[in-house]
Amino acid sequence: MKTVKIILAALLILCAAVLVIAAESSKDKLPGLLERMDAQGAAAQDTKMQKAKDRVLDALAEGSREKVLRSLERYLDGWPDRLDTGGTVARELFVYRNRPSLTAAGLFLLLAGALLLGAVFDRTGKIRKAALPALLIGLLYAGVYILESVVGSGTMLITVLKKGAIYALVAVAMNLLNGFTGLFSLGQAGFMLIGAYTFAIFTIETQSRAQVYQYYDGGLVQFALPTLAALALAGAAAAFFAFLIGLPVLRLKSDYLAIATLGFAEIIRAVFQYDGLGPITNGSNLLRKYPTFDTVLFPFLVAGACVAFIALVIHSTYGRSFKAIRDDEVAAEAMGINLFRHKQLAFVISSFFAGVGGALLAMYQTTVQAAAFTSAMTYEILLIVVIGGMGSLTGSVMASFLFIAASEWWLRFLDNEQAIGSFQLPLMRSGFRMVVFSVIIMAVVLFYRRGIMGDKELSLKRIARRLSPRKGGGANG
Amino acid sequence: MAERVLELDRVTMQFGGVVAVDSLSMRVDRGEIVALIGPNGAGKTTAFNCITGVYTPTSGQVRYLGNLIISNRPQGRMKELYAGSDKAFPAETVVNTPDRITKMGIARTFQNIRLFKTQTVFENVLIATHLHKTSNLFTAAFRLNYREEQQMRRHALEMLEVVGLADLKDEKATSLPYGKQRRLEIARALATKPQLLLLDEPAAGMNPQETDDLGRFITGIKNQFGLTVFLIEHHMDLVMDISDRVYVIDFGKLIAHGVPEEVQDNPDVITAYLGVEEE
Repeated sequence: MKTVKIILAALLILCAAVLVIAAESSKDKLPGLLERMDAQGAAAQDTKMQKAKDRVLDALAEGSREKVLRSLERYLDGWPDRLDTGGTVARELFVYRNRPSLTAAGLFLLLAGALLLGAVFDRTGKIRKAALPALLIGLLYAGVYILESVVGSGTMLITVLKKGAIYALVAVAMNLLNGFTGLFSLGQAGFMLIGAYTFAIFTIETQSRAQVYQYYDGGLVQFALPTLAALALAGAAAAFFAFLIGLPVLRLKSDYLAIATLGFAEIIRAVFQYDGLGPITNGSNLLRKYPTFDTVLFPFLVAGACVAFIALVIHSTYGRSFKAIRDDEVAAEAMGINLFRHKQLAFVISSFFAGVGGALLAMYQTTVQAAAFTSAMTYEILLIVVIGGMGSLTGSVMASFLFIAASEWWLRFLDNEQAIGSFQLPLMRSGFRMVVFSVIIMAVVLFYRRGIMGDKELSLKRIARRLSPRKGGGANG
Repeated sequence: MAERVLELDRVTMQFGGVVAVDSLSMRVDRGEIVALIGPNGAGKTTAFNCITGVYTPTSGQVRYLGNLIISNRPQGRMKELYAGSDKAFPAETVVNTPDRITKMGIARTFQNIRLFKTQTVFENVLIATHLHKTSNLFTAAFRLNYREEQQMRRHALEMLEVVGLADLKDEKATSLPYGKQRRLEIARALATKPQLLLLDEPAAGMNPQETDDLGRFITGIKNQFGLTVFLIEHHMDLVMDISDRVYVIDFGKLIAHGVPEEVQDNPDVITAYLGVEEE
C-alpha cells in the first residue's frame, strides 16, 4: 500500500513538473510557431494575412497577453486552409494558449503529490490533519486562476472576486478589533486612506511624477519603491497612526471610542486633501500611474496571507487575551492582562491590515482620491462584519464576497428599465438596486440576528457534521 | 513572628461624599486564612478593590510582602471633600493597575461571578496562565512558543483537576451550574500562581452541604499550594470553621478583630449584625 502511494505521488509530481515546464517554456515560442504554421510563406503574398500576422507580433512586443490571444484567434480563424495547424504545431498552440491554466494545474498536482508523500511519511498524524484544508485552499487558488483565464479578467465575476478579496481583508481586520477585542471603532476608512495614499505616493513611476503632480511641480517624493515593499509600508504607516491615535482614544469606551475614531477618519480625509500638503498628497487631485495588478491572484494571495496571519494571532495567546478583554475587562485585568497594551496591540494590528487593504483597493481602482474614503465606506465594512458575524473570520470573508457580488453585480439589472412584452415594469430605474439591497440586508439581519456565522467558524468538521448528522464529524477542520 | 503577607495601613476610600472604607488597618500573615465580615454594604468588596488596584484608595497604604504596592493621599477636589477619620496622610503616591498586582502574586475571585462568557472552561483557566508568558506577537502567532504553550495547557489542566472540573473542560463556562462556576473562578485565580488568594464571598448562593465542601476545599488548596487566604464571607459557619482570624467592619470602620470565638461574642458585632434591641 505504501509503495503504491509513493509511486502515485512520484507520478503526480512528475506530471506536474512536465506540465509546468511545458507551459512555462511555451512563453517565447510564439514567433517561431508563427513561422512554422505558415511554412509556405502564404502571408508574404497576402497583405491582409500579413497584417493579421503582424498584429500578433505587435501585441507580443507590447506584452499584453490578452491582445496576443485575441489577434492570434483572428489570424487562425481568417486563414485556416492556408495555415498548418496539425501535429506538433497544434499541441504547441494549445500549450501556449492555456499556459496559465496548465501552470495552475501543474502546481496543483505538485501540491497533491507533496501532500500524499507527506501523508505516507507522517508519523504523528499532524500533516494529515492539515492536508485536507491545505489541499482545498490550493484547489481554491488554482480554481480562481483557471477561472480567470477561462472567463477573461475583464468580466464582472473576476471584478467581484478582486474587490471581494480586498474587502474580505479589511472586514477581517475590523472584526479583529470590533468582534474579537470588543472595541467599537469606526476609523477603518481613515486607516485605509492612509494605506492607499502611502502606497500610491511611494510607487508612482518617477517619469510620470511630473504629470501626476502637475500642480505641484512634480511633487516631493522622487523615487519609487517595489510593490510589495510599498504594501508593507502602507500597513506600517496606518499602524503608526493607529499607535498615536490609540494613546488618548483607547482610554474611551464603546460609543465614545466609536465617535472619536470616526472623527479621526474624517480629519484624515480632510488633511489629505489640504492644499498645503499638495507636494506629497497631490491635494484634492487624483493619484495615478502607480503599479496595479492585472491578475485576480494578486489580491487573493496578499489578502489570503494577511487573513492567515490574523487567524494565527487570534488562535494564539494574544487572541485569547483579546477575547478575554471582550468578555469581561475587569476579570481580564484581574487575570494579569494589561488592558491598555492589548487594546493598543489589537488596534495597531487591525489598522496595519486596514492599511494594506487600502493599498490593495488603490491598486484595484488604478486611481485614488481621498474624497472616496468616506464614513459610508466604514459602514459598508461594518455591515459586512455584522452580517458575517462578530467574531467569525470565515463569516467576514463569506459576507464580503456576497456583499460585493450583490451590490456590484447580481442586483445591477434592477437599475435598468425593463419590459415584459409591452408592459414597462414600474420602479426599475437607476437607484432602485440600492433600495432592494437595503431590504435584503434588513431581512438578513432580522433572520440571522448574530450574522450568518455568529461567532463560530466555518470548518470542514462543521460541514461534515451538517451533511451527515448521525455520523458526527468525520473530516478534520 | 510569621511573615506579613498583606498589610493595610489606614486605607480610606471615599466616593464623592460617601466614605465607603474608613481608615482600615489590618494584616494577613503567611499561611493564615483570614476572614473579613460585616453586614451588607459595610465596604468589604470596596476594601478588596483597593487591595487589587481596581480602585485607588483616597488615602492610605497597602504593603505586600513588605513592599509598598499602593499609597495615596487626597488629591485635587478630594482635598476639600475628604471626610475620613484619619488625618495623617502618607507622603508617597504609588499606583498599580490590577494586572500588575496580579503579576506580583495576588489573585482574586469576584462576588458576582465574572467568567469569560463565550469561552470554554479550559480556555477560562488557560487565559490566567498567560501572565508568565515570554512570547511576543510573532513567536506566538507562528507557534514558536510551542513549548511554553504546552506548559500553559498542562498547568491549566492541573488547576482544573484540583477543583474537580477537568471532565467539563470543553463545556462553555456559563453552562456550568452556579457552584461549579465559583470553583472555576478559583481555578482561574490559582492558575496565576498566586501567593495570596482573595476570595469574595465564595459560598454565596450555596447550600449548607456545598458550603461545608467549600470549607474543606479552601483549606485543602491552602495547604497544597502554600497559600495565604483572605476571604469575604457571609456564611458564619464557614467563617468560624476555617478562619484563623476574623476582621469585622461596619460602615467602613473596623469594629472588631480576633480569633473567631472572640469575635462571635463581641457585643459590637452582635449589634452590627442584629441591630440594637429597642427597650
